[in-house]
Amino acid sequence: MTLPPARGRVSGRIASSRESRCLMQIKRGVAVSPGVVTGEVLVLGTEDFRIPNRFVSIDAVESELGRFRNTLEMVWEEIEENEQLARDQLGDQFGAIFGAHLQMARDPKLIAEIEGLISEKSLSPEFASSRVLRRFARELQNLGNQYHAERAVDIFDLEKRILRHLLGERREELVHLTAPVIVLAHNLTPSETANLDRQFVMGFATEVGGHTSHTAILAGALEIPAVVGLGHCLSDVSGGEMVIIDGNHGEVILEPDDATLAKYRELEERVQSVSQRLASLKTLPAETLDGESITLLGNIEFPEEATVCRDRGAEGIGLYRTEFLYLEQNQIPSEEDHYEAYRKVIAANPDHPVTIRTLDIGADKIPETTGELMPEVINPQLGLRSVRLSLRNIPLFKTQLRAILRAAVGGDVRVMFPLISNLLELRQARMILGDVMDDLEEQKIPFRRDVPVGIMVEVPATVMLAEEFAREVDFFSIGTNDLIQYTLAVDRADPSVADLYRSGDPSILRLVRTVISAAAKHDVAVTVCGQMSSDPVFIPLLVGMGVRQFSSSPHAIPELKEVIRNLTIEQAEQIAAHAQSLDLARDVENYLRGELNRICPDLVL
Amino acid sequence: MVPCAKIVRTAERFSCEIHIQKADRSADAKTMLDLLTLSAENGSVLVLEARGAEADEAVKALARLFESNFDDPASGSRPGVGSDR
Repeated sequence: MTLPPARGRVSGRIASSRESRCLMQIKRGVAVSPGVVTGEVLVLGTEDFRIPNRFVSIDAVESELGRFRNTLEMVWEEIEENEQLARDQLGDQFGAIFGAHLQMARDPKLIAEIEGLISEKSLSPEFASSRVLRRFARELQNLGNQYHAERAVDIFDLEKRILRHLLGERREELVHLTAPVIVLAHNLTPSETANLDRQFVMGFATEVGGHTSHTAILAGALEIPAVVGLGHCLSDVSGGEMVIIDGNHGEVILEPDDATLAKYRELEERVQSVSQRLASLKTLPAETLDGESITLLGNIEFPEEATVCRDRGAEGIGLYRTEFLYLEQNQIPSEEDHYEAYRKVIAANPDHPVTIRTLDIGADKIPETTGELMPEVINPQLGLRSVRLSLRNIPLFKTQLRAILRAAVGGDVRVMFPLISNLLELRQARMILGDVMDDLEEQKIPFRRDVPVGIMVEVPATVMLAEEFAREVDFFSIGTNDLIQYTLAVDRADPSVADLYRSGDPSILRLVRTVISAAAKHDVAVTVCGQMSSDPVFIPLLVGMGVRQFSSSPHAIPELKEVIRNLTIEQAEQIAAHAQSLDLARDVENYLRGELNRICPDLVL
Repeated sequence: MVPCAKIVRTAERFSCEIHIQKADRSADAKTMLDLLTLSAENGSVLVLEARGAEADEAVKALARLFESNFDDPASGSRPGVGSDR
């Protein structure tokens, strides 16, 4: 009998659909640390395998094929042992699962495909196995039902088994890196992030996480390009492939094609030379070409970051987010915990202002709060959070205020209340602050009475009443992140509407202007903090609108200084006037980008 | 997954080519991953095809496997099996 053509046709179809697929994939996440880097990827799964070599030399192909065969036999043996063990101890049906694993490991098509990659493309057995198995896993996941998606886990298990045998002693761990890599992980713990070997880890990206995760914040402090919140992508890479991290735009490009790679390599070089030049600005003043001085402050979460700000040329701390005191430990911080942290920040800024923002998180994040304070939350962004929570839990609030007032003795400390949305809240908060001063005085505990008091302007209602507020505060800090979210009714963490979140929206510009003119009328200082003030694109606009003080992520400070040093006030005012005449966010942003390109072409990436 | 493994194990006993078809997809009955990606659920209509030495015996053996519900006496429902040759 003759063989039917069926077999050839089937395998041919599958092979061609795989080979012709463009391997380049662009994943979008949240940009948390700027910079661009290209390199080989190290995938950190639950077991940290690193595939050291993707290719083998042509003379080694035969011996590598032999190594693969030997490994397969070891893998079969191991699975058979597991099968026997499971059968004896758990019953036949459990043994049968390993029986099926064994059939997978013996699959002739699988073996032929891996061997083909080794012999024809000189891939290392590790890389070839991982690649082929992950393709099968992806194919199963793409079938779109739960059952098959779970079978992908069985394939990953087989992949690990094979790699463990192949790598044996050669398994490298994150701590023993010997060559530069880009780390891709489901998640990195803050301690893992902090311990990344900066000599070899050139950048990283994670599947989970957001702007305010500790990992994101530490990435900024480490000053390596990083993107978080990519979503599911680890199964698409084996390790060893080329990858690009674009920390400016929050993109990760897996297996880029040659043109893309060349483009990013050039960008990488440019970014490097720019950042070297920017580092030299550290000791120069943040002054416009026509001599107007602008104050650049840093935003921090951890006391340790205060020195990073200073090293970057910040002239103080414009926003100290104290929430991390509550998040870090699993209990409510004591007055001494607060005091110690504040002292550290003040000590790092002996001659500069430190603006401490009181608690700004939701009730659900506070450990040990009473049931009364923990209702079912439907819309946490509009719920019991921030200063509302402080006003409902006065002992908690007073503890923090006492520590701030005590720590203020040694420095230029300001206190700031977040999420103020009506005048009564401000008055209540001030009254409690007054009570705390009276208590401290009575107890003869040293503290500072003349601490300036300000508010975050981040609720549209507060902007509407900016004049009224200006009569009762010493300063405003425009929190653009929340102001944009509340004004445009967009949660930017929600990918389905994130594109509607636009800093350049004309409504936002008008709100900022309202605050600035109310402040000017009542001689109240205005700082802009939030993402908008860390983006060089918006600096000429904001300066032109009258802002003289910015508080930004420490790593953005040199860039902001560069923009300011190449700008005149007149030019900034013209830019602001034109930007405010446009009626689409897109037009505003494009115009501002174009202007930045004329002022500092290096910074437009 | 376990039924697939049993199909492979049965098919391997014969030297002939054995394919299982579902709609326009065809899987080599001797390769586990092929069968898995065929995504045949309980109740799917499959066509069994064998060519070569002992083709008839192979089809009979596999049909028996399906009819016995993969040696699982507890379960009642049976997938439909058609065979040619």
